[in-house]
Amino acid sequence: MTENHLKLQKTTELIQEKQLDGLVIYSGGTCSILRPSYLHYFSDFKPMGPRNAAVVSKSGDVVLLVEPFWDEDRASRKSWIPEIHGSAHFMEDLRSVLEKMGIAGPVGLAGSREMTADVYRALEALVEIQPADDILEQVARVKSQRELAVVQKVAALSDIGFSAFLKHAREGIREYELAALMEFAMRSAGAEDIFILLSSGANNFEMHDPTDRRLERGDILIGEITPVLEGQFFQLCRTLVLGEASALLQEKYALLMRALEKTLAKVRAGVPASIISKTMNRIFSEAGYEKYCYPPYMRARGHGFGAGSLAPGGVIDDNTQTDLVKDQVVVVHPNQWLPETGYLACGGTFLITENGYEEPSRTETKLYIKEG
Amino acid sequence: MQTMQPTLRNGRNIWGRINMPFEEFQGRIDILRGKMTDHRIDILLAYGYAFNDYGNPCYLSNYVIRLPRGSLVVLSPDDVALFFEGASRGLPSAKRLTWVEDVRPCPDISKACVSYLEEKSLTESRIGLAGVDEWMPYDQRQFLINALKKCTFVDSQPFFRDMRIIKSERELDQIRRASHIVNKVFEKLDSATLPGLIERALEATIIKEARLEGAEDVRVLFGLPRQKNWALRPAGEESLPAGESLIIYLALVYERYWSAAARTLQIEDHILKIPQLEAWQSFYSELTDCLQPGKDIATCRRDILARIEKHDTDFIFDYGLGQGIGLSPEEGPWLDETAGGSLESGMCMALHPCMRDATLGAVMIGNTLVVSERGIEVLTA
Repeated sequence: MTENHLKLQKTTELIQEKQLDGLVIYSGGTCSILRPSYLHYFSDFKPMGPRNAAVVSKSGDVVLLVEPFWDEDRASRKSWIPEIHGSAHFMEDLRSVLEKMGIAGPVGLAGSREMTADVYRALEALVEIQPADDILEQVARVKSQRELAVVQKVAALSDIGFSAFLKHAREGIREYELAALMEFAMRSAGAEDIFILLSSGANNFEMHDPTDRRLERGDILIGEITPVLEGQFFQLCRTLVLGEASALLQEKYALLMRALEKTLAKVRAGVPASIISKTMNRIFSEAGYEKYCYPPYMRARGHGFGAGSLAPGGVIDDNTQTDLVKDQVVVVHPNQWLPETGYLACGGTFLITENGYEEPSRTETKLYIKEG
Repeated sequence: MQTMQPTLRNGRNIWGRINMPFEEFQGRIDILRGKMTDHRIDILLAYGYAFNDYGNPCYLSNYVIRLPRGSLVVLSPDDVALFFEGASRGLPSAKRLTWVEDVRPCPDISKACVSYLEEKSLTESRIGLAGVDEWMPYDQRQFLINALKKCTFVDSQPFFRDMRIIKSERELDQIRRASHIVNKVFEKLDSATLPGLIERALEATIIKEARLEGAEDVRVLFGLPRQKNWALRPAGEESLPAGESLIIYLALVYERYWSAAARTLQIEDHILKIPQLEAWQSFYSELTDCLQPGKDIATCRRDILARIEKHDTDFIFDYGLGQGIGLSPEEGPWLDETAGGSLESGMCMALHPCMRDATLGAVMIGNTLVVSERGIEVLTA
């Protein structure tokens, strides 16, 4: 049985288990770093238009509707779903698909957060809607071999992004120019999309939007370098100093490194995800920075990164309730604002294993220093 | 034209106070407050979402959200507050992008808005809604409406539609700046040598050139019109074979304002060429002649369709004729069957007809145009 048949089979089983007549997996055409597109995961197709849906019946029939209607051919080439329609009249087409598939009873809805009022009301007029994000979260929780291979590929793209960061960071370049060159390096190597947060200065408060600011000698550069491939994100958090790194900066960065090392030593399948946050916060608190472990200074100590499932969650903090599971892709970043140095970035993306973790990126975690 | 939205606005993001000074926003606020008085509206909620529909709150505040989330300006006779969905750590940089002093980060904009109205004792008000029904996620909209049961609501999106459709001189200058970047990118592509040309690499080059000129957001679609079942689409991993023709649709944003253009190129070994296509350019000029200030827009559309029919052109209607462009890549005036009102000076249009061509497969010519008293100004020629 192919991977996609398994995906459909698991989805259908969950539809039946919940006594639903069918499932609508919806996308508004956007893609969020901390809110995976269920439709992209399920269909293998990233939609462009504002209204798109896969309809799955309880017997396992499936139809994909995409906007704009002229994107049908691309959808047919990308998706495994056999019946695909480009839609010029989405609500009429959705009604027709539901009727044709004989779906009239309660329908699960995944991706409702991307749905605007007009679409929700129109669907509600046709069928009884029940929230069903959990179906896709559950199906996507176990990663396939292909998905794990994508994690390795996108990790390599992040390494390329970091190399560009190191290569192009220099006195005089503007923040937005540096971000552009990093993006170019990753896109040229095959990244489908890019998420770059980057800041420069003597004491950064956050990673902000790229501005006109020109880099200066002595600047601390912080970056979250995140390429995307097939819906899978992969993030590196790194800090670079232009010129000499002060002893104070080196001492404080060593604190972040220690927090990362101590945290990773505890990471493995079966432990609570909150151990990530609690371990980091303990290390920083022992160093006298407890106040700075919480908002407005710091919030999440990591998060899940998945195509389809965000498990163990979009925010890993002291209150996260779930356990880490084998093959989860988890960002662990003891990024920290410290009064003496400002915000420093450290950490990356890890693959959870039975006994610990794998680090798919080959970019060393350390304080990078670049002369000139 | 619908394009693939990004995960994040990765480009330059500043408030250019010389190009778009505080006075510009104050003027808009004053007009809206006048409309609020006329319609007995106590509070106006101007909502925007993500990368295509950020226009309403941005029009009042200059703020634009970088993630696919919501932002909201709450306007009352005495106060202005800006909400954005994001972490509190993002507040300093958000404040750098706007003149609004009361800026509030929040995890959920509808809940934050309700709290604000409670804080200001405004939960029994007449509230104007702009963009809420159109773009706010359903669950958030329902929370907002249900939590404000003692309020009455007035559809105020028409205020923004009517104001935003006519661009001020400053807005037109921003669109000219965006168009200048579009022009520079296409100039660089003409005769560019691109060894080992694959779509993804060409897209990367286009995006880089635009970003280095300051583009906030860049959208690219490709089409290979000599191929069977071709359609415009985002870049893939495919090679761009020599001898093929290539349609590139490019839309980008500079300091909040969009410009878009389409060109039909030829791939000659490892070199891209933009052919002159004089006959088609002349045909395009005939179509733009149909757009005249003061003329009914539905008539403009009928005249364009009549010209197409007269020329016996095999027109490809999939991509439409075009529409307005500004703070959104697609906004009024519309050149489709919903066309209404009259074409007025200060309107900005993207006109992008696509026609079959015996040699190239198809030709798309797209430009951003400004309607002025002097006629049509083509910004991306």
